[in-house]
Amino acid sequence: MLRAIDPDVARAIDSLPNKVNELGYDAWGFHKERAKLWYSVGKRLLTPYFRPTVSGLENLPLGRMLIVPNHSGQLPIDGMIIALVALMQAEPPRLVRAMVERWFPRLPFINELFSRSGAVLGDPINCRNLLLDDQVIVVFPEGAKGSGKVWKERYTLKPFGRGFMRLALQTESPIVPCAVIGGEESIISIHNWKSAARLFGMPYVPIPLTPFPLPVQFHVHFGEPMRFSGRFDDEDSVIDEKVKQVSEVVKLLIAKGLAERTSVF
Amino acid sequence: MTTTLITGIAGGLAQRVAAMLLEDGEGVAGVDYRETTGIDAYPVYRASYDKTAIEDVFRKVSPKRVLHLGRVGNLSEPIEKRFEINVIGSQKLMRLCVQHGVEVLVVLSTFHIYGAHPRNHVPISEDDPLRAGTSFPEIADAIQLDNMASTWIYKHPSVRTVVLRPTNVVGPNITNTMSKVLRRRRIPALAGYNPMTQFVHEDDLARAVIAAVRGKERGVYNIAGPSVLPWRTALEITETQVVPMPSILIERYVRTFSRLPAYLIRFFKYPCVITDAAFRRDFGWESRVDITETLRSAVDRRPPSR
Repeated sequence: MLRAIDPDVARAIDSLPNKVNELGYDAWGFHKERAKLWYSVGKRLLTPYFRPTVSGLENLPLGRMLIVPNHSGQLPIDGMIIALVALMQAEPPRLVRAMVERWFPRLPFINELFSRSGAVLGDPINCRNLLLDDQVIVVFPEGAKGSGKVWKERYTLKPFGRGFMRLALQTESPIVPCAVIGGEESIISIHNWKSAARLFGMPYVPIPLTPFPLPVQFHVHFGEPMRFSGRFDDEDSVIDEKVKQVSEVVKLLIAKGLAERTSVF
Repeated sequence: MTTTLITGIAGGLAQRVAAMLLEDGEGVAGVDYRETTGIDAYPVYRASYDKTAIEDVFRKVSPKRVLHLGRVGNLSEPIEKRFEINVIGSQKLMRLCVQHGVEVLVVLSTFHIYGAHPRNHVPISEDDPLRAGTSFPEIADAIQLDNMASTWIYKHPSVRTVVLRPTNVVGPNITNTMSKVLRRRRIPALAGYNPMTQFVHEDDLARAVIAAVRGKERGVYNIAGPSVLPWRTALEITETQVVPMPSILIERYVRTFSRLPAYLIRFFKYPCVITDAAFRRDFGWESRVDITETLRSAVDRRPPSR
């Protein structure tokens, strides 16, 4: 099964406008043929298990954009689901460049799998360069604090950072607010073991309720694109105002998504 | 006739640059602290760049252009020797350039000073920090040489100075560590790591040096070569057999037994992808040798298998 490439994945990846060199690589290590394999594996594992639904795909503009969702679920399943629906269900298909945590490049094997599939180290200059190259990036402005939320904090938002807004202003990129419903229930963390996290140099160490992710249904809601103008290097208070507008829309999308959900599973 | 003085003339790159200049009918003289043999087409001097003998070379040659390609890159040389030649010697060369009215100075630095680091963004430009020293302080001489030459650009505007930071240089005449690694038939590889890498052919770099001499701009420039590719793909092109081993074993082995500089291991683990967009824009240079030919040319001198 691992060797077989899904024909729909292959078609979607072949249609991508991403620039690659004569050996098939871009500078970050994305490779269409390898990506086909890993997206096929992802599709076969995640789609039947989490059965993602999606709304608002028509809101995705053409060209560069920052997708800004809530973050949850301890593991980056939400990022993978967004990447999967944007590739498989959007028309035209989009390759979402996920911004990974700074310790990912240190992980043997995983680092290569992620970079061949299009993931990139979460660094402002990487984001800027990708946006200037008209690519799609997904940024979780809550950072690791967002994915490490415990059960009582589910579907609340940790404070958004300002970096994504400065990038959007600098590169004149639209922001697509997004809500992911389901992540909070897939891996329920009852406690964040902070002393263990400090010991291992991890952002958090969850105590999960179950030893594996639950087969919760995921719902992805894309909001209408938001365009901002102004100086990217403006004072923090000015940027904060704009950031707040985005986080408010994400909150509304979460509320809408939760209201529309009839069952967790 | 304008004479160009080239340091490091015992090396393959300097000799390629000299040959290209001679083909264009320009005057060339070479100097090296090492013994140089087999060159009849132009005068060659033996002088350490940090000693008074180099002063006499400048008096005899009266160069209008100096190409300082003679940095000691081999980190298995003692740090004291590298410091004397790379830092004290380069400082002396630069001072002599001002004293003798040299118009153009090209200094060959290296992309190694950026360091291969898990937090490196892509691509690295000339304005980015030099991280190598944080994990490998022994590279201080290369960083200091680069910093000194970069400061020189603005301190002494009478000499148009261009500092080049090329990526891995390979080719039939190059004998640096990377070329030696590629020429082996079988090498251990760090299991689970396959970073993006770049290579530039010796002829492309030689043309870049000449473009820097003949251009009008001054500054620090990366030279990245044709295409970026994963390390293992490079090894497939050179038909090098790979033996995957845990990185910790390889790192320990290199630190304990090998003459290979330990910091080089990081370049097989994390990416250090640079951009040469500025050099292409300012000097109209482009690489002519594609990545496959670049890599294959490096292993032309591979010893026959037993």
